[in-house]
Amino acid sequence: MTANLVHRSAVELAGLIRARTISPVELVEAYLARIDRWNEALGAYVTVCRERALDEARAAEQALGHGAPLGPLHGVPFAVKDQFDTAGVRTTSGSRLHRDRVPTEDASVVARLRSAGGILLGKLNLTEFALGGTLTHPFGQPRNPWDRTRETGGSSSGSGIAAAAALAAATLGEDTGGSVRTPAAWCGAVGLRPTWGLVPRSGCVPVAWSMDAPGPLTRSVEDAGLLLSIIAGPDGHDRWMRPAPGDPRADLERGARGLSIGVVTTLVDSPETDAEVREAVRRSADTLRGLGARVEDVDLPLVPMAGAVFMALADGEAAAWHHRTLATRGDEYDAGTRRRLVTAALLPATLGQQAARARAAIRTQLWDALGRFDVLLAPTAPTAAPPIASAQAPIASRAEAGRRFFNRRSYTTPASLAGVPALSLPCGFTAGGLPIGLQLIGRRFDEVTLLRAGRAYERETDWHTRRPPLPA
Amino acid sequence: MTELTPAEVRALAAAAGLPLHGADLAEVTHRLNAFVEVLGGLAGLDLTDAEPAPAPPPDLPDGSR
Repeated sequence: MTANLVHRSAVELAGLIRARTISPVELVEAYLARIDRWNEALGAYVTVCRERALDEARAAEQALGHGAPLGPLHGVPFAVKDQFDTAGVRTTSGSRLHRDRVPTEDASVVARLRSAGGILLGKLNLTEFALGGTLTHPFGQPRNPWDRTRETGGSSSGSGIAAAAALAAATLGEDTGGSVRTPAAWCGAVGLRPTWGLVPRSGCVPVAWSMDAPGPLTRSVEDAGLLLSIIAGPDGHDRWMRPAPGDPRADLERGARGLSIGVVTTLVDSPETDAEVREAVRRSADTLRGLGARVEDVDLPLVPMAGAVFMALADGEAAAWHHRTLATRGDEYDAGTRRRLVTAALLPATLGQQAARARAAIRTQLWDALGRFDVLLAPTAPTAAPPIASAQAPIASRAEAGRRFFNRRSYTTPASLAGVPALSLPCGFTAGGLPIGLQLIGRRFDEVTLLRAGRAYERETDWHTRRPPLPA
Repeated sequence: MTELTPAEVRALAAAAGLPLHGADLAEVTHRLNAFVEVLGGLAGLDLTDAEPAPAPPPDLPDGSR
């Protein structure tokens, strides 16, 4: 029972607890045992809240007998990226600079998951300060559960691992330019970047205020909808937030019939996209067509610029946030982070303004397309997870810098630049056994339709049910 | 814009009060030149009417626009 229990969805587990088929203590112990078995090999957790989680599980078990109203996550163990503040639990942001930082309050999203009855299992690994390109992770190298020589994707690395490898029932990450969607794609999980302005960032160490979006990484679209329904909406602190138009799960089981879906040929047919990824994504489009969706190709010619435009803007915002620390304690940053931030700090202001204008043009192109289609469809990443070693090799030329930093990011950053929601879900595997991610992009504040499309696809396929080769 | 040399990048960093030495200098030079090359390509686009608002106003109506 325990071996299979940990792989269940958060929705299923919440139902089993409510029905008193399983106990929260049993469930927390099952996840802790799995963390003990696999965390050293996978590098998912920075901090495990063992005793506290067990205490909360015992309290949750007692509450079951009291007849009091139970939250939708009652007794369900979750974990969050170590970018979110947690009262009394250190929050490192994946950096030696914050190794002893212990916040006094929970981030809004953490407080909401706990108020819903969730039990915090621990804090999950990430690239330093949620920027990509960390060369040496101070709290352990995150490793892909399907092949431990491969990358997990970042920056929500541990969240992707823990969701896919069943080291928590559900996890939370933060997506600035793809930091939820890329780990979801490469680890074989579901990852949702919500509309910018829907999920408050209070208590989340920032990367780039104009794009940061906390979002769930889970083992099903339904779970992503459940977590979103809990964390969405204004919190009285983050002034850019607005209320959700309704429950994001409202149309979850409505199916794909009648949806219009635009296949972004600019990305699907790009020479950067591996043939196996292209075939899997095209097959996914066919699946949705078979379910009754109207599926047509759409060209978005500015999208290949998105990676460079994103990095100029997001890294510039990050460099401004880090500037004082970078100037005085630069040696304490990981070399990859330091080089990325210094580069952004030196970018000419005129190019930054050009990038800001290009962002507006990319946004208009995406919004126009979303005026014609309910959902856009593309690969989440052009390849499956690359070897860890390939990301750690020195950069020896301008061309290589462009290839490594800009090209892949052009797949996830269009949604970030446009402020629209996007979902990554498993859509196949390479011949080498690595997961492939399908990306669906929706209209602002229309997570209802986005999740409907994702759930329709998920219901028709079994990719999301496959498990990495990690015995109990 | 012409390609920046490591000496020029070092001088820029010093002016910004940022440390830049050893292997960092070569790599930051490559990264910066990659930015300059790719973003320089934006000059070929007509962005006259593209107002550089950083984020969509939250009070826009639902839907994409």
